[in-house]
Amino acid sequence: MNDSMFSVLEQYIASRILKQPNRKINPTESIISSGLIDSFSLVDLALFVEDTFGVRIDDSELNAQTFDTLTQLASLIETRQNK
Amino acid sequence: MSIIQIATLAIVALILGRLPKGRELALLAVSAFAVFWLQPNEPFVTLRFWLPVATLAIAVLAWALTSAPEARGWKQNWPAAAVLIGVILLMDLNRYFKLEQIYITGTPLLPLTLSGLAGIFVLASLLLRSQKTNRFWMLAAFIGIIVVFIFLKTPSLTKIVSDLAASRRGQTAGKVIAPLSWLGFSYIAFRLMHTIFDRQSGRLPALTLGEYVNYVIFFPSFIAGPIDRADRFVRELRAPLSLQNEDWIDAGTRFFVGLFKKFVLADMLAVISLNDLLVSQVKTAGWMWVFLYAYTFRIYFDFSGYTDMAIGVGRLMGIRLPENFAAPYLKPNLTQFWNSWHMTLTQWFRSYFFNPLTRVLRSGERPWPIWLVILVTQTSAMVLIGLWHGVTAGFVTWGLWHGLGLFFQNRWSELVRTRLPAWLQSRGGRVALNAVNIFLTFNFIALGWLFFTLSSPAVAWQAMLKLFGLS
Repeated sequence: MNDSMFSVLEQYIASRILKQPNRKINPTESIISSGLIDSFSLVDLALFVEDTFGVRIDDSELNAQTFDTLTQLASLIETRQNK
Repeated sequence: MSIIQIATLAIVALILGRLPKGRELALLAVSAFAVFWLQPNEPFVTLRFWLPVATLAIAVLAWALTSAPEARGWKQNWPAAAVLIGVILLMDLNRYFKLEQIYITGTPLLPLTLSGLAGIFVLASLLLRSQKTNRFWMLAAFIGIIVVFIFLKTPSLTKIVSDLAASRRGQTAGKVIAPLSWLGFSYIAFRLMHTIFDRQSGRLPALTLGEYVNYVIFFPSFIAGPIDRADRFVRELRAPLSLQNEDWIDAGTRFFVGLFKKFVLADMLAVISLNDLLVSQVKTAGWMWVFLYAYTFRIYFDFSGYTDMAIGVGRLMGIRLPENFAAPYLKPNLTQFWNSWHMTLTQWFRSYFFNPLTRVLRSGERPWPIWLVILVTQTSAMVLIGLWHGVTAGFVTWGLWHGLGLFFQNRWSELVRTRLPAWLQSRGGRVALNAVNIFLTFNFIALGWLFFTLSSPAVAWQAMLKLFGLS
């Protein structure tokens, strides 16, 4: 996974969503099914990803089946960027 | 659904899962037959024929409306059309076969049914040709589905039909008139709307008539879900059937677990589940809690039991349905409860209501403040989920209970997130906090069921007072 993409995502989630800037997020830690990010914050995360990385995440994709870890989210972003 | 009907369909699934080829069409025939066979008694006998026909008709018309041009060819679709017409005609001909144990014999005369079929054929052909106006028809279809949905879910409106039937049968007064019920419509409607929305956003794959109608009326999930996504379902349907021994064992185990949950646990708990009569009779708070907990577990075992059976029967045919429950009563907050209770319905509402609404309110030049967005989106989404169960004050109140619960939980966790004392952040402290949270969440959910199951919010409130020894 792209390290800078990971750290951008980690920093956004830790500081803006969890309000804990020093919180570390493991790349394989589940962020949706564990309840770490609620459904409301998930939309904010999607808006952030769209603005930052220029890829669209559909409303029906905001669930643990599409991505549940930062590794999966980064891989989704990379796949869309390479299309 | 009776246990005999369930067992019969499970045996049929076992056979379908062993077919060397032709699974899609055979499955379509069985599902179409099940739509007729499972339809319960109606105020008017003839509705037991026409409502299933309407189910198949709206599925076919929705396919015509949403299908991709490359999937519209006659050559690839005529076998499915022939199967559907064949099943409808066979059921109609029962007025001559007189197989009363299987289906009603009071079906319409053949010319009437043929006219109905011709009507559906003409409408479908027009939709398949009218490319340019499809957006208009998609909106019209969406509004039509919602209107029918509201009608069927509003007791005072369906009562009009029952009353009409009662007045027609004046001579046989005293005979119980069955309520109007369109079997499976709640689930079918949401599958159809999902395909309409996904077609508009370009996310719906090209589906043939057989694939589409199989998705809408797949017999294991026809009555009680789960609400699958068309793209996911069709991937399963298209995959070659290759069931191993362990698949049969998994499928069978899942089916029998569901059967046990529904017909043993849920039906036993039904005897002591809270109802209006018990609310008026029970004097002590302790017993009220026992009856409330009995209902709380009953509804879980009943619903998740049906899901287990659907998933098990689906697997017998090599089709994996999505999960619908994941230990919902063991969750430490309401957000996680709704991530694990009737998951496919909540996911539907997230995809097509909650997320788009949140997106609109959070973007733009002047985004709404976070707390207001959460309040509006959570409560409106939960009230809509309540209304999905029925247009009554009880279901609306139940939706509000959960919507406001989610809002306050969100605000509370936001407030305490960075303020937890050190002893609560230790391992032991976290375990203790988790246990307390599970206990509180479970009881909040249990109290919410009062509005869901009792006849009115007033009775639910009376029960609430008794539970806390205030009445």
